[in-house]
Amino acid sequence: MLARAVPLVLLAAAGVYLAFALRLPFGAAARPGAGFYPVIIAVFAVIVALAATASAFRDVPRGEADAAELDGAARRRVVISVVALAAFCLALPWVGYPAAALAFVTVVLRYLGARWTTALLTGVLSAAGSYGLFAVLLDVPLPRGPW
Amino acid sequence: MGPLDGLAYGFSIALLPSNLFACFIGVLVGTIVGVLPGIGPVGAMALLLPSTFAMHPATALIMLAGIYYGAMYGGSATSILVNVPGEAGSVVTLLDGYQMTKKGRAGAALTVSAVGSFVAGTVGVVGIMLAASWLADVAIQFGPPEYFAITLGGILLLSRLSGGSILNAFVMVALGLALGTVGMDSISALRRFTFGSVQLAQGIELVPVIMGVYGVAEVLLLAEEGIARTQIASVKLRELLPTREEWRRSAMPIARGSVVGFLTGLVPGPAAVLSTFISYTLEKRVSKTPEKFGTGMIEGVAGPEAANNGATAGAMVPLLSLGIPFSPATAILLGALVVHGLQPGPLMISQRPEVFWGFVASMYIGNLMLLILNLPLVSVFVTVLRLPQHILATLVLLLCLVGAYSLSNSFLDLWVLVIFGVFGYALRKLRVDPSPMVVALVLGPMMEKTLRQALFLTRGSVLDLVARPLSATILILAAAALFGPPLVRLVRGRRLA
Repeated sequence: MLARAVPLVLLAAAGVYLAFALRLPFGAAARPGAGFYPVIIAVFAVIVALAATASAFRDVPRGEADAAELDGAARRRVVISVVALAAFCLALPWVGYPAAALAFVTVVLRYLGARWTTALLTGVLSAAGSYGLFAVLLDVPLPRGPW
Repeated sequence: MGPLDGLAYGFSIALLPSNLFACFIGVLVGTIVGVLPGIGPVGAMALLLPSTFAMHPATALIMLAGIYYGAMYGGSATSILVNVPGEAGSVVTLLDGYQMTKKGRAGAALTVSAVGSFVAGTVGVVGIMLAASWLADVAIQFGPPEYFAITLGGILLLSRLSGGSILNAFVMVALGLALGTVGMDSISALRRFTFGSVQLAQGIELVPVIMGVYGVAEVLLLAEEGIARTQIASVKLRELLPTREEWRRSAMPIARGSVVGFLTGLVPGPAAVLSTFISYTLEKRVSKTPEKFGTGMIEGVAGPEAANNGATAGAMVPLLSLGIPFSPATAILLGALVVHGLQPGPLMISQRPEVFWGFVASMYIGNLMLLILNLPLVSVFVTVLRLPQHILATLVLLLCLVGAYSLSNSFLDLWVLVIFGVFGYALRKLRVDPSPMVVALVLGPMMEKTLRQALFLTRGSVLDLVARPLSATILILAAAALFGPPLVRLVRGRRLA
């Protein structure tokens, strides 16, 4: 499925890109405008994405077997990691870096198979360590949250 | 400044305590990420990029490049001892390297690979000194049409060489070029594809994209495994010495590998990986016993290990003399220089000699440090592999998140990281190389600018643009490399039919 979904998504993206590129001022060959180069790229993108989609639907994709081979547990671990990454991005402005980092490391480790105690301890140490390194030593203004 | 004066001046810069320290940290981190499967040199360079913002540009370049070539040393240890390549440039090494370990010659394989890497690294630095200053002299005469031809030719060649299907490579190129147009147009200041977002007006940052497709994607692959432990063969210090016969058999492969590697590095593409395959094939071809390759032949370790280090040096030439990165790793180095307000190119060598020569001299020092680090301490580094993979994977994810945010304190960069992480994971599952996208993202804006400038100059004549001697030569070479092999196959197929 993945082998067909990816080119389809890219084809759709190329189409949208072309539509937006055509709305930019094109100019002329002697005075190319802001849309000149994007239109060329968009046409190229649509052509190659069409060809890739056609080839994905015609051939038996090599990657298909790999994606299908993932058992339920492995797929769950990947999905949990991605969800945790997205949750971190959403939560960071609201709860601040230390809390988001602690929750992120603990949850991901737990789902990857670590014991609760190991997960929590690693979470505390890594959140504190990375905060100390980036916020204190390197002066990165990491959000601290409401506390 | 001639090469020798330049080098002497470079040593006076590279031997400053802060630069020595940066070089040491770079090669140390490089060795560690090289040993660890999962996180490669590109991901590690992207991770550490924000920490270099406060440094002098030469110091930043010295540290980041140290990671790049350091990883080539570290990667071989994992290939030889565990039969798992630490990074892509060491895949070939495991064919004969692990067989040598099975025969009890792991120590010899490690020593030959470290010495081979050292020799190639040193040969490569001499190559940079001579080639980069020569190319920079030539490149001063380049105008927008030539730069346009180089970027276009580079992208075309890269698509050919990145391995896998050329169609997939073209899709990646198109995506990278399109991403490069997001943000403010550099000529008319018009906002393009920003959908009203102020943050997108700055364009899509390269580093979160790289961290996503090389860091997060790799970790997601590791996450599939859950908890896994690695069995490691141990090596004792006295077993490290190769026999006289092994030295004799390694000498020529190292010499050939160094040259092949450096030359491959000059060409766009995943030079470090490609050079190892070329070197291995070459060694097999010149060998009197090619059938024994794959059973623990030291030539199969010596050649490719020298080649991947030579290639990392060669890849610096187009970056330093033309300001054009042809690989994701050199794209990060370019990014680091640009952050410091430096534009690598033909003028950098004369205008900022301390950066160029300091960097070149630091590569000599770095290679020496790596030889010392890797021979007696190889067992210490390999114990890094005993670190539980799931803890390591989670910590790398956290570092990617905080690293991406700290680039410009932007939440958008975090989302770019996550989206490209998932996309990179999907590409890995489909066995599609993301490098053409990354390089196209870097070269795209350069290509657009030079194309528009060139069209202004030639009053819109595409013929004038491509017919200048140099740009025509470059484009013809790229077209030959791109369409030559399929045409030859087609003609041969017709003849056979």
